[in-house]
Amino acid sequence: MTNPITPELKLEIKLLIMETLSITGIDPNNIDEEEPLFGGTNALTLDSVDGLEIIMAIQRKYEVRIGDQNLARNIIRSINSIAEFITEEKEKSKS
Amino acid sequence: MSKTPYIHKMAAHCESGAVTSLLNNQGLSITEPQVFGISSGIFFGYFHKMKAFTFPTFIVRNKPGQMRKKVASRLGIRFHTEKFSSPEAGEKRLDELIAQGIPVAVQVDFFYMDYLPEWERVHINVHFIVIVGKEGTKYLVSDGYFPNLVNLEASSLRKARFAGGSMSPKGFLFYPEHIPNDIRYEKAIIKGIRQACFYMLKIPIPFLGVKGIRKMAKRIPDWPKYARDTEHLSHEIMKINVLLEDQGTGGAGFRFMYATFLQQAAGILKMPELTELSKQMMLIGDKWRELSLFAARIGKNRDLGPERLKELSALLMQRADDEERFFKELSRTIKNKK
Repeated sequence: MTNPITPELKLEIKLLIMETLSITGIDPNNIDEEEPLFGGTNALTLDSVDGLEIIMAIQRKYEVRIGDQNLARNIIRSINSIAEFITEEKEKSKS
Repeated sequence: MSKTPYIHKMAAHCESGAVTSLLNNQGLSITEPQVFGISSGIFFGYFHKMKAFTFPTFIVRNKPGQMRKKVASRLGIRFHTEKFSSPEAGEKRLDELIAQGIPVAVQVDFFYMDYLPEWERVHINVHFIVIVGKEGTKYLVSDGYFPNLVNLEASSLRKARFAGGSMSPKGFLFYPEHIPNDIRYEKAIIKGIRQACFYMLKIPIPFLGVKGIRKMAKRIPDWPKYARDTEHLSHEIMKINVLLEDQGTGGAGFRFMYATFLQQAAGILKMPELTELSKQMMLIGDKWRELSLFAARIGKNRDLGPERLKELSALLMQRADDEERFFKELSRTIKNKK
């Protein structure tokens, strides 16, 4: 059974994104977890260069690999989709 | 023709994805990395001054169409292909094939794929999708860049198939006509690897393969001479990231996809040495991705002074050295394999 995605993980992801992109002045609680991070109206909006930085930061921190950029685009769509991916990868590495 | 529903899968690259999708739906078990590897898809070419380009550019894969042609010749598959002089004739023929239950790959201008977000769509005349059905004025489309089957208005598809400009599709379509019952992958894989090594190491053209990466490394500090202004230069430098990561490359200029191919080839050929080489190619891919991010960052920040371009040049030179070592070792590994 898949572990539930924890609020702690979502906060950790928000902080990782903010640290990676040197973003200050946004309260992580104001970042919507389902709203798209690209081209939407979220408190945090990113462009494709930010996206690549985030992919590399996620790879480093969670020791996962996101090779395919179409997959990557789906993974970094929102905070929830990133959290879902990391949780699934952690599960896979345990089994 | 079979009435089995078309199985759609996302793909890393449109051409290898469309070929794989058509073959899988005809019952052939082949993966996208295998299509890429067997067709010697991995490549590098630097074009400093050519009539077709207004600014120096590069490619990281073989020519459009080559993946289909090489997979066909190496596996004994026959694809039927057609081009059309008028949109009416092209649409009529497509509708006939669809009515017969034949899924058909078509070449399109990516811009008209209006099911994709607007910010993703640019005019590129060499996108490939598979048309699997039609209802009323809407085609049912399998696009490897989209998570599920999707509808596209006939008017949009017509514009996309008959767009003008460089490499215009002219309604080009293809579908597998014959797939042998007994396919031997081993020889095809070896041929694919051998030719990739030749392209990367020995092709006697000074701007292709590893020589091309070195040429780009040497010439990139000159790029400001060809740019209209800083904005233009920034756009061109950021395009390095787009060409490596964002145009259906599977990440890091197809290097991750080639690593997966070698991993799968190791199992098929029973050559564990290829697993080690696959890991090396993954690391090479990571380094290309770092280069890609460096280019994107300096472009975005308009930090494009001579020192930064020298750094970018040095990163490219390292990639050339890595790939030269890698392909020499790959070539040695398969040298006596038949």
